[in-house]
Amino acid sequence: MNEILMIARKELLSVVRERRVLFTTLILPILIMPLLMFGPILLFGSAARQTQESVQKVGVVGVPAAVLEQLRKARVEPVEIAKPQEAVQNREVEAALVFEKDKYTLYGRLSGGATQSALVVEKVQGALRAYKDQLVAERLRARGIGTEVLEPFRLETKDASREQERAAGLFAFLIPYFLVLFIQMGGMPVAVDATAGEKEKGTLEALLAAPVPLIQILLGKGLAVFVMSLLSTLAALTGLLLGGAVFRNLFAAQLRAVQDGENPAQLGGALALDPLGYLSMLLTGVLFALLIIAIMISLGLYARSFKEAQSYMSPLMLVMIIPILFLQFSDFLKLQDWYFTLPFINVVLALDALVKGSATALQLVITWLSTLLFAGMALYLAYRNFQREDVVFRN
Amino acid sequence: MIEVVRIEKAYRKFQAVRGISFEVRPGEVYGLLGPNGAGKTTTLRMLATLLRPTAGSARVAGFDVVRQSLEVRRNLGIVNGGMKVYDKLTGYEVLDFFGSFYDLWGPRLKERIGWVADLLHIEQTVLNKQVKDMSTGMQQKIVIARAILHQPQVLLLDEATAGLDVFARRALLDFVKQYAGLGKTLVYSTHVMSEAEEVCDRVGFIHQGLLVYEGRLQEALALGSGNLERAFIRRLEGAA
Repeated sequence: MNEILMIARKELLSVVRERRVLFTTLILPILIMPLLMFGPILLFGSAARQTQESVQKVGVVGVPAAVLEQLRKARVEPVEIAKPQEAVQNREVEAALVFEKDKYTLYGRLSGGATQSALVVEKVQGALRAYKDQLVAERLRARGIGTEVLEPFRLETKDASREQERAAGLFAFLIPYFLVLFIQMGGMPVAVDATAGEKEKGTLEALLAAPVPLIQILLGKGLAVFVMSLLSTLAALTGLLLGGAVFRNLFAAQLRAVQDGENPAQLGGALALDPLGYLSMLLTGVLFALLIIAIMISLGLYARSFKEAQSYMSPLMLVMIIPILFLQFSDFLKLQDWYFTLPFINVVLALDALVKGSATALQLVITWLSTLLFAGMALYLAYRNFQREDVVFRN
Repeated sequence: MIEVVRIEKAYRKFQAVRGISFEVRPGEVYGLLGPNGAGKTTTLRMLATLLRPTAGSARVAGFDVVRQSLEVRRNLGIVNGGMKVYDKLTGYEVLDFFGSFYDLWGPRLKERIGWVADLLHIEQTVLNKQVKDMSTGMQQKIVIARAILHQPQVLLLDEATAGLDVFARRALLDFVKQYAGLGKTLVYSTHVMSEAEEVCDRVGFIHQGLLVYEGRLQEALALGSGNLERAFIRRLEGAA
């Protein structure tokens, strides 16, 4: 046991003295997480508000005077143009409205996500809706019919999600994603340094000549990777939770405007789990960390150099994206319990279910046991690799 | 004490070591001499339990290299030319790290570090520097210090002067004689014959995985009319 701790301590000392690694694995996540979460939303919110408040040019062709008046009320400036589509494409106007034979055609730059043009299109649509409602009301009145005929019943939509899921907000998606990502990202530099790095630097042979069983060397290295994974994940979660709270205080007004404005955006959230829920999340994360660390060490031991190890481990990141993508569509699937035996996918599904408060005991137990089994297999593979002379002296 | 009996190492179709036998007694420096690729490093790695022999047997300090590998490692130190120690750790931390595997702690470790520093002429202040900030010669001294910190009965040196400047090389050769004087068993593997002439008591010529000659240094020198390199070439020509 002592040897394991000494080896882990040595690996961690080497990392702590590498400022670049320390910064990218521990400091950067704390700084970057709130920016990642709230930055784009704030920027978009601010841009959207400015678009709402300022006046933009909209090209018009054959549009009646009454509609032009409605457009001006909606804070857009109608400009007569000849070629509406080209004018929008060349950004001479943000949108263009053409009226022809009882039909309005609205042009805007609608591809490529949130654009200013899309917001102006919404403004014009709003103006046209208001004008249409006005026309309908006038015509009904002319026939002696009240406008209530247009609304024979009322429709109210209520969110029936679990309390935890509602409270979690964006976290419901982000927590599994970031846990998986940071467990891997945090451990990778140490995993590479402790395996292929030792080979490349010529330090492994001295360690192997010491009277320490291979399994203890392996466990010592694994422990160091585990500690860094854990610290990196904690740093990311701290950034997410504390940084988020600081951000919310600093930009309270702006965030409220984004949340309550015409284009409300879902912001952050908070975990509302009972102690057992947190413990289950911790256990799931720890087991996943064991699995991913054993895989990384196995790959690192096989590699000849830093570069080779990184080229083996980087695709692992891409592999991890698959369960994350799967998670996005999991709501459309009827989740079967056996899904929780699938490596990686089970962890993401279990974390997602835990955050949303929908995890069953059976699903969690299946996830934990299968992940433990996969971790054991990966650890055995790493040990076998470590025993192989052609792998250890493959440099 | 080292006893090697018809030891072999094969990598698939390539036979790196082909039935080598030799013995080294306490207080003796045995020179394992041969060109690059002759099988010296493979032989020493088998003695250090880093590689498993495919045939034959070897005992180091009375322990079998296959069945009692941990005991062998407890009684053995190995240094080779390419071997390095952790550059982010200080010299003291490196010795503390490796010392812990031999139950060297606290005052005992301090005393042992003092001994090794005196033997290798390492100043205590240097031990507080990170290895990466030391000169190449000093780094090699830390590598050696790590290997002898537990005062092993057997010390294997494989091209240990590679990359060293004249001062560091001199210090290493002096150390080899000093350490053998303590009654320790040493194997000095090199392709630089002049080094062997200076430190070895007995030599073995290894070529293409075979031990083609073994004898006392004086006998080997006589074979080459006073020159070990010539003796090596003559012996190979004789063998052919």
